[in-house]
Amino acid sequence: MSVRALQRNPSLCCGGLLVSAVLFVAIFHGWLAPYTPEQMDMTRRLAPPGAAHWLGTDNFGRDLATRLAWGAEVSLSIALGATAAAAIIGTGVGLLCGYCRGAVDLVLMRIVDIVLGFPSLILVMALVAVLGPGPRNLAVALAAVYWTQYARVARAAALSERERDYVLAAEAIGVSTLRILFRHLLPNIAGPLLVLATLGVGVAIVSESGLSFLGLGVQPPTPSWGWTLAYGLRYLRSDPWMSTAAGLTIMITVAGFNLLGDGLRDLLDPRAAAAPTGRWRLPGLQRPAF
Amino acid sequence: MKGERVGRWLAAARVLALVAVVLIVASGLAEGPRAVRIGTDVDAQSLDPRLQRDTTAYRLNNLIYDGLIQLDENLTPRPDLALSWRQPDEKTWVFTMRRDARFHDGRPVTPDDVVFTFKTILDPALNARFRSLYEPIETVEAVGGDQIRFTLKTPYAPLLNYLDLGIVPKDVGARDLNANPLGSGPFRFSRWERGGRIVLTANDGYFAGRPAIDEIDMIVVPDNTARAQALEAGDLDLIMSPLSPQDVSRLAADRRFRHVHLPGISITYFNFNCRHPVLSDPTVRRAVAMLIDQNTIVQQIYGGIDVPATSLLIPSLRWSYTPEIRQPAYDVDGARGLLAEAGWKPGADGVLAKNGQRLSFTLATHAEDSNRIQTIELSQNTLNQVGIDAKASVTDWPAFIGSVQTGNYDLALLGWTILVDPDRAMYGQLTSSGSLNFGRYANPQVDALLARGRAVGDLAARAEAYQAAARIIAEELPYYVLSYAGFDAFTTSRLSGFAADARGFLRGLAAP
Amino acid sequence: MRYLLTRLGLFVPMLAGVVSVVFLLVHLIPGDPARVLLGEDASPQAVAQLRHNLGLDLPLPSQFLRYLGHLLHGDLGVSMFQNAPVLDLVLARLPATLELAAFAIVVSVCLGVSLGCAAAVFHGSALDLLCLVFAQLGISVTVFWLGILLMLAFSVELHWLPAIGRGVPLSSAFAAALEGRPAALFDSLAHLAMPAVALGMQGAAIICRLVRSGMLEALASDYVRTARAKGVHPFAVTFRHALRNALLPAVTMIGWQFGNLLGGAVLTEGIFGWPGLGQLAVGAFSQRDLPLMQGIVLTFALVFGLVTLATDLAYGLIDPRIGSR
Repeated sequence: MSVRALQRNPSLCCGGLLVSAVLFVAIFHGWLAPYTPEQMDMTRRLAPPGAAHWLGTDNFGRDLATRLAWGAEVSLSIALGATAAAAIIGTGVGLLCGYCRGAVDLVLMRIVDIVLGFPSLILVMALVAVLGPGPRNLAVALAAVYWTQYARVARAAALSERERDYVLAAEAIGVSTLRILFRHLLPNIAGPLLVLATLGVGVAIVSESGLSFLGLGVQPPTPSWGWTLAYGLRYLRSDPWMSTAAGLTIMITVAGFNLLGDGLRDLLDPRAAAAPTGRWRLPGLQRPAF
Repeated sequence: MKGERVGRWLAAARVLALVAVVLIVASGLAEGPRAVRIGTDVDAQSLDPRLQRDTTAYRLNNLIYDGLIQLDENLTPRPDLALSWRQPDEKTWVFTMRRDARFHDGRPVTPDDVVFTFKTILDPALNARFRSLYEPIETVEAVGGDQIRFTLKTPYAPLLNYLDLGIVPKDVGARDLNANPLGSGPFRFSRWERGGRIVLTANDGYFAGRPAIDEIDMIVVPDNTARAQALEAGDLDLIMSPLSPQDVSRLAADRRFRHVHLPGISITYFNFNCRHPVLSDPTVRRAVAMLIDQNTIVQQIYGGIDVPATSLLIPSLRWSYTPEIRQPAYDVDGARGLLAEAGWKPGADGVLAKNGQRLSFTLATHAEDSNRIQTIELSQNTLNQVGIDAKASVTDWPAFIGSVQTGNYDLALLGWTILVDPDRAMYGQLTSSGSLNFGRYANPQVDALLARGRAVGDLAARAEAYQAAARIIAEELPYYVLSYAGFDAFTTSRLSGFAADARGFLRGLAAP
Repeated sequence: MRYLLTRLGLFVPMLAGVVSVVFLLVHLIPGDPARVLLGEDASPQAVAQLRHNLGLDLPLPSQFLRYLGHLLHGDLGVSMFQNAPVLDLVLARLPATLELAAFAIVVSVCLGVSLGCAAAVFHGSALDLLCLVFAQLGISVTVFWLGILLMLAFSVELHWLPAIGRGVPLSSAFAAALEGRPAALFDSLAHLAMPAVALGMQGAAIICRLVRSGMLEALASDYVRTARAKGVHPFAVTFRHALRNALLPAVTMIGWQFGNLLGGAVLTEGIFGWPGLGQLAVGAFSQRDLPLMQGIVLTFALVFGLVTLATDLAYGLIDPRIGSR
């Protein structure tokens, strides 16, 4: 059965495998890691992979594999937290707009427009500056920028679905708005939103590394993939391994989430994958134009 | 006939080829304008010397404007617009100006322009960044046709070192000197592509002779690594600190580039908040200082560009420096012992505590300097191992400097630059009422010594005062000086004669 | 037409909202521009004096009203740090950013469409697999990492391309080329190449996938099969019908990319020394240059809004099924 599944939906399987592996490392890093992330050894800085350190060491002589394993928890929790918050808020707003239309739609969509009108990096930087540094605030700042994608997609989906029979029937028998939204509409549009969220995790991971490059990510000495990549790049010419290890880790993880998202999309709506005509069915673009 | 025609064509082709070769060689030989491309890390903000506040502007203004004096590579004042000077008494300076200096629009530089420049920089409404350096000046007046007299409120020995301030014309009408500077220096302003480059061209009428270089392009490349790569790619002719240590060692080994390494005039230091419940105790400060692995930080993190500091005295200021005054050295066991003797015992959570007070504080620095961030990270690690609960805080510059200047910090890592006189490194920072005394350190002995160093004119006496003050500071450690900055410059062979100075000033390019 | 007017009408509350939010945010951020202006060796009195001069010690609502007043007269204020009108500073940098964004889009469209078509036409072959791998990795790559690697390879090691800066502005380079002086155009393109590729990679990957799936669907559709059966050359049919399908997502992509690029090109601009709006924004932010930050955000909102509008209109034109919503 698994070979069949693989053939039919390779993205889902590969993606699922990669994501599971990364999540496993993120959760069990304490058991898996050979060293602790604070163990510095200034005589063994930037060592290439070897017997003692499978992935080499970082600029403080700390074991890179350990740092990346612990960093998985940090970077993933920020990315997942940000994505979850953005998805929840955005979907809620979008459903409300799509279903209720009228004034609610007008006002809430203008708020979406306002958020989209900001250069996203500047908005995140400003929010992090106001809220203070730290992984939780970083997740909040990222969520505050990305929720609009979900709002737009949820709204378009709700607008489209709301004329369907099951909704009209529910209205006719007097089901409350809230129930309609959550018990009836939401499950039917969850597909593309889930896809969007999976792809969004990848975007959040890369955003965190970009912020760390600017020195605005998590505080040292918290291990994070972004910091490791950012620092590694300063040593790129003489000791490329640190940045390569971090960069590849990020790339593989993001690819894993992207594959998973693709696979989910193929699974949930195989026609949608090949039909670029439905507006709201368009693949999850983080920051769509409409 | 056909053969003849072919023959004629061949002959013509040969002539044409010859002409082409000659033209190509000639164009190679014919020198275009000699333009020097310099990489810099920030775009200038103001090209008015009174309002300048970034290194790019300091360097450019040093080329566009002249001052009464210039500091040479030994930081000794040399005549520039002023031919000579004397001190009739300890509160008066009189300068005699040259008569042949002209601004770039042709008008002569007169004592009135000098008076105007200093009067305006002292005006609080102008908000000049370096106004405080000139505060002790009471009046400036033009005397005779070519003399300027400075009258001071109190004796102020360092003044001469600060008189390289660019002189601006007293009447520029509506011209905005910030964006369209008008000076009398060896190079004149040509154009400014914001965020990209600033172009200067040689001043034909310069009194010391037209520079051999026709044009200077100051090109903005914010990323240190990218700037080094641009030099290697042949897109730049000169780059200077700030540079990442990896790039410095790689470029130093590259035979294509000339490397100039000089002791600089900046320091990187740890600033203790002497009002902090734990850090107010000099013993604790001493222990913390002994836990900072100066040599490893300077060698590994700063790549050996800087020099581990011995005290607040700066080697570049040779007349005042002595290596005999030393801060405590790195000694982890010594620090442990010191803290144990003072009564600090490990608590239940492993953190040292005394009388219910945990030994806990935050190390802070700003996000723009990755070397400083790494220093904090390393130091925090060492401190934690001994049982001190040290945390790190990295914020961007405005947030960081805001909290430091208002005293909301525990232990901050930052620096002081342009230290052309010991007074500049110590007076405002460590006198009890000094406006730069963020940690609120107070020691009347130090106050007296620093006041003396500022007032007496004799260099030996000044040196004695500053050394005595530095000795106390190395004991009580309101500051722990990490390193003296080194200055590195790399040039291509096009700039074979160039001599840099420790401030990164480029007057050497003005050689005729 | 009505759609256009409605959309333009919706601009106003959006801009008003952006202006208010950015004003609030910018004043909430810790850090004082007066302190940054005067440097670490400033006395508290000097700082207080400067704050007063800049009007920073007024209560927030009155500062806001002042700002709005200026804004309605078309005055975006004067940058605190660069002593130049914000409008001038922004307009000076805007063309550079637009040029880079436009060229990145061109790169992604050309690369994406050609790879996507090739993958669809040679479906199942190694080329197809290569394109799929490219599509996955292209989206997953970290842009600034790619930028630094490109610079390392093509500038430092191979010396093929200049490492930093912007060349001759593209518009004047084109004009010069038309007059028979192509050197300026080569200079422009040489400077644009690496940053545009770094920025356009993600877009190329996405477009490649979309075009590929769009074409695959088209190739398998009844319409194409019938046409083929009738003997019409498959390529002609494929491209006319399939590309039309593929155009839709490509058009949407352009709007998406533009927003991404204007806001997210900051890091790439820094690495390549590209004098654009992104770097100006980060610089303004790191100094707390309040009027400049406000001006940049407002400009961005305006430009982005216009581009979104244009994209939606184009979309409406291309896909006749979408009426006005």
